[in-house]
Amino acid sequence: MEELPLKLGINLPVLITQVVTFVILLVILRFVAYKPIMRMLDERSKRVKDSMEQAEAVRQQSARAEEEVRKQLEAASREGQERIARAVRAGEEVKQKAEEEARKEADALVKRARTAIQQERDDAISEVRREFADLTVLAAGKVIERSLDKEQHRDIIEKVLEESITHKKD
Amino acid sequence: MTEPRKRSGCLGCSFPVLIIIVVVFLGIVVIGFLAGGIGQKMFPGVSLPSWLIVPRPEPHLPAPQLFHLFGLPITNSMLAGWLTLVFLVVIGWAVTRRMKLIPGRLQAAFEFLLGWIYDLCKSIAGEENGRRFFPVVCTIFLFVLFNAWLSLIPGFGSIETIKYEGIPPEAQISVVPAEGNQPEHKVVMVDDKEHEIVLINGEEVMEIKEELIRGANTDVNTPLAIAFFSFVFVAFFGLKTLGMGWLKQYFNFGPFFRSIGRTFKGKFNLMDIFSGGIGIFVGGLEFLSMFIRVISFTFRLFGNMTAGEILLLIAAFLVPWVMALPFYGLELLIGFIQALIFSLLTLVFVTMAVTSHSEEAH
Repeated sequence: MEELPLKLGINLPVLITQVVTFVILLVILRFVAYKPIMRMLDERSKRVKDSMEQAEAVRQQSARAEEEVRKQLEAASREGQERIARAVRAGEEVKQKAEEEARKEADALVKRARTAIQQERDDAISEVRREFADLTVLAAGKVIERSLDKEQHRDIIEKVLEESITHKKD
Repeated sequence: MTEPRKRSGCLGCSFPVLIIIVVVFLGIVVIGFLAGGIGQKMFPGVSLPSWLIVPRPEPHLPAPQLFHLFGLPITNSMLAGWLTLVFLVVIGWAVTRRMKLIPGRLQAAFEFLLGWIYDLCKSIAGEENGRRFFPVVCTIFLFVLFNAWLSLIPGFGSIETIKYEGIPPEAQISVVPAEGNQPEHKVVMVDDKEHEIVLINGEEVMEIKEELIRGANTDVNTPLAIAFFSFVFVAFFGLKTLGMGWLKQYFNFGPFFRSIGRTFKGKFNLMDIFSGGIGIFVGGLEFLSMFIRVISFTFRLFGNMTAGEILLLIAAFLVPWVMALPFYGLELLIGFIQALIFSLLTLVFVTMAVTSHSEEAH
């Protein structure tokens, strides 16, 4: 038993020195390495967590915004459709009204034309009558001028009529 | 699209370069073999210049004392320990001097290593305790690891200091006959070590060659020191966390004496006394195992490291240069494993020490 520690070289001063070395290493590394690195690791994990949370928030926000936009688009599209429908309806109405008016106007025109024609015809007839009367009077005068028989009478009328026609023609 | 030009050659070299490398490598293998212990014995006729011949290794366990500093003996393993200390402190300082949130290469590597150990601590000891134990566990890991790895650097164990001392009168002097390139010379055995005798100023003195630096782990004092520290660490946190409860695990006399006391009050219960006795016995065993841990810690590391060093020495002696290379790789691995075992066992023991046994039982 006396031999063993000697052969292995167990030596109290060396042992104590190595313990002291180790403790010094521990203390220095604690300040030089562990504390800053732990702080850095903590900060980094905190940052990663924060940025992930932030990303999640942004994602949610953008989803919300997208939903909003979608809704707005939908509303706009609906409104547009409505407006188009309304415009079409209005157009229809305008068209109908225009048609109706046109028809009315045409009717009025026709009516007026008819009246005018009627008038003119009446006028013409009355003129013819008047002229005829005149001619009759003329013819009658001629007849009176000459004593005529029935046949002559007729001839005269015809002649007068013919004359009046030719007269009219001139 | 044009086909990429096919590169001729192999292993990233063109063929002539590859052939030269292979020839040089084979030359080194052959010369190494001839210069080594096996080659010298197999082909004694081949004589090589003496600087090629590797001397026979003489491994010895105790670390030699190189000199005294303020009365403190300085051994080569202490120097190696200090070297590791300086190395680690410089690395730590260089890394943390300018810490950046987005790390550079060195910082990332260092952070990766430390972060890995920190995660191990947390996974074994829990979040809060892991943070408390991390510095000690990590220091043990780094110290053991770099003691082992730095001792693989050339110069460890090969740079020698030479002292001349007078021959002790009771020492036995023997004469070694001339062999090979070696002329006849006298040697003297002191403390199981062979020293050559040389003449200085017409006086015969013994030449004491000692390695300047030697892997700190290969001196039994270093593993013992770390094991001792680990023991104190475990006991400190056990006492701090559980107080007397921690001691009760080892000196578990309470139930025994209580049952004895009940016997005097007339309630005799054999089972109680028996289980009290068992409790004392188990506590004693636990107490014993605590010290056995220190020994097992010490000799696991010491044995592995010393065996590794001797293995390298022998490999370098038998077939120098080439044969030692695979063993260097092996030693890297073993150093890492030993560091991990040492630190993780400490972590497990301290975690056990702060976990109340009675809590576990309920």
